[in-house]
Amino acid sequence: MKEIKYLIIGGGIAGTTAAETIRHSDASGPIAIISEELYPVYSRVMLSKRDFYSEEWEEDKIWFRKPDWYQKENIELIVGKSAVGLDAGKKIVRLNDGNEIKYEKLLIATGSCARKWIIPGSDKKNIFTLRSLNDAKAIRERMQTAKKAVAIGGGFVSFEMCHILRQFNIDTTLVLRESYYWEPVLSEDEAVVVEEALVKNGIKILKNSEVSEVTGGEFAESIILKDGTKIDCDMIIPGIGVICSLDWLKNSGIETNKGILTNEYLETSIPDIWASGDVAEFNDLILEERVQLGNWLNAQQQGRIVGLNMAGKKESFHLVSSYSTSGFGVSICFVGDVRPETDRTMIGRGNKETKSWARLIIKDGEIIGATMINRTPELSLVSKLISTDFKISGHEKELADPNFDLKRIIV
Amino acid sequence: MAKREYIRNKEGSSISKIIVDRDLCIGAASCVTILPSTYKLDDENKAVVIDANIASDEELILAAQSCPTKAIIIIDKEGKQIYP
Repeated sequence: MKEIKYLIIGGGIAGTTAAETIRHSDASGPIAIISEELYPVYSRVMLSKRDFYSEEWEEDKIWFRKPDWYQKENIELIVGKSAVGLDAGKKIVRLNDGNEIKYEKLLIATGSCARKWIIPGSDKKNIFTLRSLNDAKAIRERMQTAKKAVAIGGGFVSFEMCHILRQFNIDTTLVLRESYYWEPVLSEDEAVVVEEALVKNGIKILKNSEVSEVTGGEFAESIILKDGTKIDCDMIIPGIGVICSLDWLKNSGIETNKGILTNEYLETSIPDIWASGDVAEFNDLILEERVQLGNWLNAQQQGRIVGLNMAGKKESFHLVSSYSTSGFGVSICFVGDVRPETDRTMIGRGNKETKSWARLIIKDGEIIGATMINRTPELSLVSKLISTDFKISGHEKELADPNFDLKRIIV
Repeated sequence: MAKREYIRNKEGSSISKIIVDRDLCIGAASCVTILPSTYKLDDENKAVVIDANIASDEELILAAQSCPTKAIIIIDKEGKQIYP
C-alpha cells in the first residue's frame, strides 16, 4: 500500500496552498494531492469572468500552477481520482479506483459542488451548472451558437453569467423564486440598483417565479413556469447554490454538519485530520461562531494556515473574508458574515442618487459583515470595523449616513 | 497603461517594485482585505497601491499570493521577479 506523509484530498487552491506551505517547512516529507479534476490548480474565480469567454482569452492564463511546479516542489498530483472511503483508525483513504493510501496526516479540501437542479426535464442537454473548468468550457462552447438563455437564481454566479451572456448578445431571462434579486442576502434597496443595471442591459427578470418543467427532446427547448408561462431557450444555467459532498465520510466518525466541523486551527474532530476551504465549517474567532465560506480568499488563506499546522505549528485562522465582483457598471462586494439571521439587525447606508447602498450587519452591538453595492472603496474600512470589534453604540446615525467618512470612527 | 508600477524604497527591504497588471485585475479585492494599508480599489474597481512602503516584505508576498488572477507582480532589488 502506498504511504504518504501528507495526503491532501482536493486539488483546488486550499489543498494546493497547503501543500506548498508544508513543503516550505518540510523539504522531503512525501506530499500527494488527490484531485477529482484532470488539471493542475487553476483560477476558479476566472470561470465566471467575461475574460475567460472572450475571443482574446489565452487559455494559459487559467493555470495557477503549471505541471512542472508540482515536480519542482516534489508534490505528487494524482488527477482524475476521488476519495470514496476513510478509515481514520487505520489512517487509510480508499480511492474510487480501488487503491488505498495510508497517510500520516490528512487534509480534506474537497470544496463544494454546484447544487443539482432537479425538476422534470432538468436532465436534458444544454443545461449547465458552473463549478469546474470543464463546466465553463462547455458553457463557452454553447455560447458560440446560443440565441436565448435562461439563468436561474440570484447570486454572484448568476449576476456574472448574465453579464457574460449579454456580451455574447444572447437574449437572457433571469428567473428568481424570490420577490427581488438575491433576497434576503441583499436589502431591497441594494437589489434595486442591481436589478436596474440588469434590466438596462437587456436582461429580463421574472420575480416570484419558479420553473416547473423543462421541455424539449434531447435538448432543452423551453421552460414552463408554475404559472404556465412558457419561455423558449437553447441554454439554461441554474445557479442555485452549492453543496458539499460528504457521503464518503459517513462511516468515518468525523463530525460534520453542512461542512466538516473544525476548530480555529482547522483541526477536525479526529486527530491528524484537518479540513480547509469551502468544505470546512470552522470556528471563526472574529465572528465568534462556526461558519462555512465559499470564496477564493478564504480557501487560499485557510490553505496556508492548515499547511503550517500540518507541518507542526499551531496557528489559528483569523480573516475577515471578502469577495467582490463587478459588471454592467455595478460593483457588488460582500465582507464578513452576510447572513441575515434573526439575531442580527441591519443598518442601511445608501443613497438613491448615486445608486450606492450598503447594509451593515450587526450582532451583539458589533458589525459582523456587510453587503455593498457600488461602495467597494469602503471595503477596507468596514473590514477594519469588523476585525476590531467596533462597538456601534452611539454611532448608529453616522453609520447610516452614506456621506459620513468611516475613517473618522476608526482608531 | 495595463501595468502600473509602484516603486518601493523601504529601508532593509529586498523588494524594489510592486506591479499591478490592470488587465488581469478583476477587482476581487483579496489584496485589499489582506493589506488594506497598501492596496485599495479605484473607481474602475481595479487594485491600486496607496503606500508601497508600509508593509513588510512577507506581507507583500502574502497579499500578492492571495490574488486569484496573479495580477500582482513583485520585483526584488536586483530586478528579478520573485512573485509569481
